Amino acid sequence: MSRASQAARLRIGPRWFSILVLPLAITLLLPGKDFSESKNPEPPIRIPSNVAWTKETLTIISAGDAFRGLLLARRCNHCHGEEGFSSVPAFPNLAGEDRLSFWKQMQDFRSGKRISSVMQGIAEGFSAHDAADLAAYYAMLPTASDPQDQRAFPQAMPDPSRASMAIRLIVFGDGQRGIPPCQSCHGPVSYVKGAPPLDTQNGIYLEEQLEHFSNGNRANDINVRMRSIAKQLTAEEKTALSEYYGAGHGPGVNSR
Amino acid sequence: MKKKIGFATAMTLVALALLSTRFYMVDLSVWHFLGGGEGPDPATLHLRGEFVESNLGLAEDPAGSVTVRMIAQQFVFVPQCIAVPAGVPVKFRITSADAVHMLSFLGTNYGLKAVPGEVTEATFTFPRSGKFEIPCHEFCGAGHYAMRGHLEVVPRDQFASLLPGERRNCEPR
Repeated sequence: MSRASQAARLRIGPRWFSILVLPLAITLLLPGKDFSESKNPEPPIRIPSNVAWTKETLTIISAGDAFRGLLLARRCNHCHGEEGFSSVPAFPNLAGEDRLSFWKQMQDFRSGKRISSVMQGIAEGFSAHDAADLAAYYAMLPTASDPQDQRAFPQAMPDPSRASMAIRLIVFGDGQRGIPPCQSCHGPVSYVKGAPPLDTQNGIYLEEQLEHFSNGNRANDINVRMRSIAKQLTAEEKTALSEYYGAGHGPGVNSR
Repeated sequence: MKKKIGFATAMTLVALALLSTRFYMVDLSVWHFLGGGEGPDPATLHLRGEFVESNLGLAEDPAGSVTVRMIAQQFVFVPQCIAVPAGVPVKFRITSADAVHMLSFLGTNYGLKAVPGEVTEATFTFPRSGKFEIPCHEFCGAGHYAMRGHLEVVPRDQFASLLPGERRNCEPR
């Protein structure tokens, strides 16, 4: 047998085949990476919130009808104010509330993932679509200051030293302690799904929520985000932040 | 002809090496891009799968191997602080809930990319004990520069072993 015919017999295909396709084919045939979960026994599963930012959820929320929301909001007016500004500082203002955030809190009140004896009963009266309508209505309400409205803030002018502390946290955060700047999720610099705007919120309500996040009383934040941040804040920083935002000094005031 | 067979074999070996080794810093699995991976959905990490919040942190299986599960998200790592034993191979399994993030273990040569929809896995050994920072090393958004985790490497003899269902992390401050 001649050398040439031997070579012809051994060759499987053209040259590029042996160079490019063969290695790829062989690697494709190899067993893939093991993606199965490992064998560590898992602790009892804890789900913070039944809401997930899937396409279906976003579709429901964006289908909200603000006019229907206006009619439904009569049930909320007594505590949260006709214009979305609460008369009682312990209740949150809803004017200009982020739609995703509002809807998620309503679902969490309904399912008991966020515990509130008052709100649970009320939220049970609203379906997912009702909550989307309400969210659309409240998102539409103006947050611009109007001397005629009954808003509960400014509650107090922030102490100047605390105000600088708050500004530092809002704008820069504290990297050493793993505290990201507030404005990188709550706006106006950038937004994260489910993060409400804070700049027209009631200070007393904000401080209460920060406290609840840090001691775990409120644990409905997805992937432990706010809980791990609030845990890092000192009591003084919590006061400073809520005072600053509560006084209507937030960086995004009237910008939306 | 022998040369050609040798060349093809060499190319195959190179491809194999590329696909199977852990790259220097980035531990991406090629299988994912070839459609082989079954990564978790970043939107529903908290509902099901191994990245639910009660399963995060350090776990130890009865054989003694140690696994750390972490989520990187805008702009915090969860858990923010992890404690691992020194001189023991620690398996990291991390994923991202939104953008691409990267853990860079300061003081070591280790890094890990967190990619949404994919589990990144790598095994690192930390020889000396101490406290290290894990800044995010991939621009992930406005709060990127303040995104930082903490790593505490504890001497082996001081590291109490975990119960089967127990998850451990530490207080960062």
